[in-house]
Amino acid sequence: MAWLVARGRPTTTAGLLVVAVVITSLVTSSPRDDVAVSLAFAVAIVGVSTLTVRGLRDAHPVFARAALTVVVLDAALFATYFFSSITNFNLAIGAAMSITLLGLSFLTGASGQISLGNSAFMGVGALSVAIWANHHSSTPMAVTLLIAVACGTLVGLLLGLPATRLRGPYLAGMTLAFAVAFTAIVNSFTSWTGGDAGLQLPTAVTPPHWLSSFFNAQTSLLTVNTMWLADITIVVTGVAFFFMANLFASRTGRAMRLVRDNEVAAELVGVSLPRARVIAFMVSSAYAALGGGLWTLINNSVQPPTFSLALSITILSLVVIGGIGTISGALIGGVIYAYSNNVISWFTQHTGINQQGNLASQLPGIIFGGLLILTMLFAPMGIAGAVRRLWARRRVQTGA
Amino acid sequence: MIAVDELSVSYGAVHALRDVSLRAETGLITAVLGANGAGKTTLLRTISGLKAPASGTITFNEHSLVRERPENIARLGVGHVPEGRGVISEFTVEENLRLGAMMAKVNLSDGLEEQYQRFPVLGERRKQHAAKLSGGERQMLAMARALIARPTLLLLDEPSLGLAPQVTSQLMHTIQDLCASKNLTVILVEQNASTALRIADHAVILYLGRVVANDAAATIVADEDLRQHYLGKVE
Amino acid sequence: MDAFLTSRIISDILGGLTNGVIYGLVALSLVLVWRSTGILNFAQGAMPMIATYLGMVVFAHRLGYWPLVVISIVAGFGVGGVTERVLVRHLYGKPEINPIVVMVGFLIVLEGVAAAIWSTTPRGIPNPFSPIDWQLGGKPLALSPFSVYEIVTALVVMTGVAVLFRFTRLGLQLRASALAPEVSRLLGVRVSRMLTLGWVLSTGVGTICTVLVASNFFTGLTPQVMDGIFAFGFIAAAVGGLDSPVGAIVAGVSIGIVLQFVGDFVNSNAIIITALIILIVSLMVRPNGLFTKSTARRV
Repeated sequence: MAWLVARGRPTTTAGLLVVAVVITSLVTSSPRDDVAVSLAFAVAIVGVSTLTVRGLRDAHPVFARAALTVVVLDAALFATYFFSSITNFNLAIGAAMSITLLGLSFLTGASGQISLGNSAFMGVGALSVAIWANHHSSTPMAVTLLIAVACGTLVGLLLGLPATRLRGPYLAGMTLAFAVAFTAIVNSFTSWTGGDAGLQLPTAVTPPHWLSSFFNAQTSLLTVNTMWLADITIVVTGVAFFFMANLFASRTGRAMRLVRDNEVAAELVGVSLPRARVIAFMVSSAYAALGGGLWTLINNSVQPPTFSLALSITILSLVVIGGIGTISGALIGGVIYAYSNNVISWFTQHTGINQQGNLASQLPGIIFGGLLILTMLFAPMGIAGAVRRLWARRRVQTGA
Repeated sequence: MIAVDELSVSYGAVHALRDVSLRAETGLITAVLGANGAGKTTLLRTISGLKAPASGTITFNEHSLVRERPENIARLGVGHVPEGRGVISEFTVEENLRLGAMMAKVNLSDGLEEQYQRFPVLGERRKQHAAKLSGGERQMLAMARALIARPTLLLLDEPSLGLAPQVTSQLMHTIQDLCASKNLTVILVEQNASTALRIADHAVILYLGRVVANDAAATIVADEDLRQHYLGKVE
Repeated sequence: MDAFLTSRIISDILGGLTNGVIYGLVALSLVLVWRSTGILNFAQGAMPMIATYLGMVVFAHRLGYWPLVVISIVAGFGVGGVTERVLVRHLYGKPEINPIVVMVGFLIVLEGVAAAIWSTTPRGIPNPFSPIDWQLGGKPLALSPFSVYEIVTALVVMTGVAVLFRFTRLGLQLRASALAPEVSRLLGVRVSRMLTLGWVLSTGVGTICTVLVASNFFTGLTPQVMDGIFAFGFIAAAVGGLDSPVGAIVAGVSIGIVLQFVGDFVNSNAIIITALIILIVSLMVRPNGLFTKSTARRV
């Protein structure tokens, strides 16, 4: 296998990967799950050996990224089979959040713009899915999600246009006002948005037959459903991250980083400043809408009050703590989001703080805020950045 | 009198000044000359405390200036007119002067009057925003602002920069008069050597951060080789 | 005449004025901090809130209203000074996102701590001004002793700040330290002290504003008391221009009045939407605020 790859034939390797995936999916329609398992691993091995060939990674970065994505998705999907429904649920929520985080990470890191309005974009996506599904229940879920993304992108355009001329604090202020106004806009149209109670999806998302046949008859419907939801979310997350990774590295991504770091240089090189900024805004709103839309699918409903300024601040905090402008940072942020409540309740239980008291209820906020301050002061590049620095230092020391 | 001894200053890995030693005597104008990047501005900034040296000493009237804060050094009587003049465009002429008088134990209106007499143009434009002044007028404002605090040491960084020859020569006369009448110590940094040498008593030439000449101005003017090498054409 | 004064239009104007001076004060404190240290203080509502709790609640049983107000303001000075020395120092010269994120984090921490110590239950602050509107010819005039107290206090503070900045030596030094810190140091100004003073003053102004809001019978004191008001105050500051104290006040009062009309003639949801539209429109016309003198203040 490695011999074939070392020949530098990306097409051959691609072909192999495709073949492996196809075989896996065909075979998994049989109830023999251990065969599926070994085939899943086969795909993983092919992918890993692809990546170990450095020449391939440098010469065909898109392909290498695709391979990496497939491998990671593979492993994740495999794992969901064994997770409990609670874990799968948290995983799905966290993964959807990480998509939103990735959008904001891109906006701040790659184009230097601040936005406190991403909860509103999430809300746009979430509500779009719910409203559309309620009025056109026959549309396939994938299409509904795309519609949500389109809505989010449109709103991003509307907000991004005035945003191009604004400097930091004014931009922050405008996005803050938008986040607050979104709640009011939603409240004005309660007939459409269901007010505080929100909307339900008319038909729950259910897994296809071949997946259900995987499990023995005693497995609860909830477990299977949750696993299916987690799988969908993970795949969408993988695709979203894949596109983002390519965008970061592309001409557009480089142009945006130039706009962030040195406006004058960017203009000299011919980058259209307003255009780069608006595109960045639209990308981040599209991603946020996708995350929000997924939330609606996972929860099977949407509650508009969720998408408040407080959520926007949470999103910003997670991006900062995870690492601005990094892809891994968004993933870290998603994980933190999914599990922070658990960690904090564990903490309060074990330190004897009164669970019902004022302190316990405020602790998440205090810890979050404190983390935010400490991160920004001492490790502005977040966890991802700190790890990267440690890694680089080790390399220097070992002379690698 | 100010004495600089073995002063070394770096910006990261770049040595801006190496073992620079010089003296500027009271009542005299000491010119500091050299090409761009020779370290002249760094020298002034280190004296006035904006930059900390790596090693060396600076003594001004028994005070050591190294490791002192700029605001404290200013209060010792050191007036620094920085590169670019540092005139606050958003303030009026008078506000700039009031700022200069802040630390002085001088009656404000007396101080203002004195500067308006010396620089009548400023008096005419006292309520105008400094942004509207011409280059020469800004230079006058910067000097008046430094002078209103009654300094005993005056550090001038390229005052003739961007000024027409006639304005420059008026400016140099003014500096000469001031130095004599107030018995100031003046360190005059100039890239235009001929302008400075015309009024200087003493001259120091810097090259790549080191002192390559330190002598009476007349001697330096007379030394053809020196001039060719480090100062270009000097009329 | 009575009918005119109690008419809907006048009532809205008066009501909007009362709100507007509060927004103007918040906007003013934001401008103070921005002009003196170049930082946008997202915790501009939360810091005075803590000071108000410290002043009004901790000693509530022992002292009357006015001594408590004084203690709060002094606490406000303290909170501002300590925050600048400990936290904000490290933010000067950093990329714009850093101070915003840190101050947002600080906001969250302060509100959390206040809620943990004093709970989120609103507290009434007894004060000598009645919140009941005066009657004119049998109909309510949209002014009460309390609203007059608010308006007068706000105007006094605004005037005081204006006088301080324009006509005093201290004001000159504060402005100079912000505009040209290096040059100011060369002229003997203790710039670092001025920066601290900028925060001390702005938190002091913010505290006066918070005390007014908290003393309002219909609002009370909670950890979140300044959240909504901060948003409107911020919008006013942005519309007026972060460098313009005059702009802050004018924008604050105008927005207060406009929004009062919107709330009355449309509905309460339209209020923040209108504010957002005002913000977007004014920033498109003049990205640095309507009253800014600066021309091309590029990065």
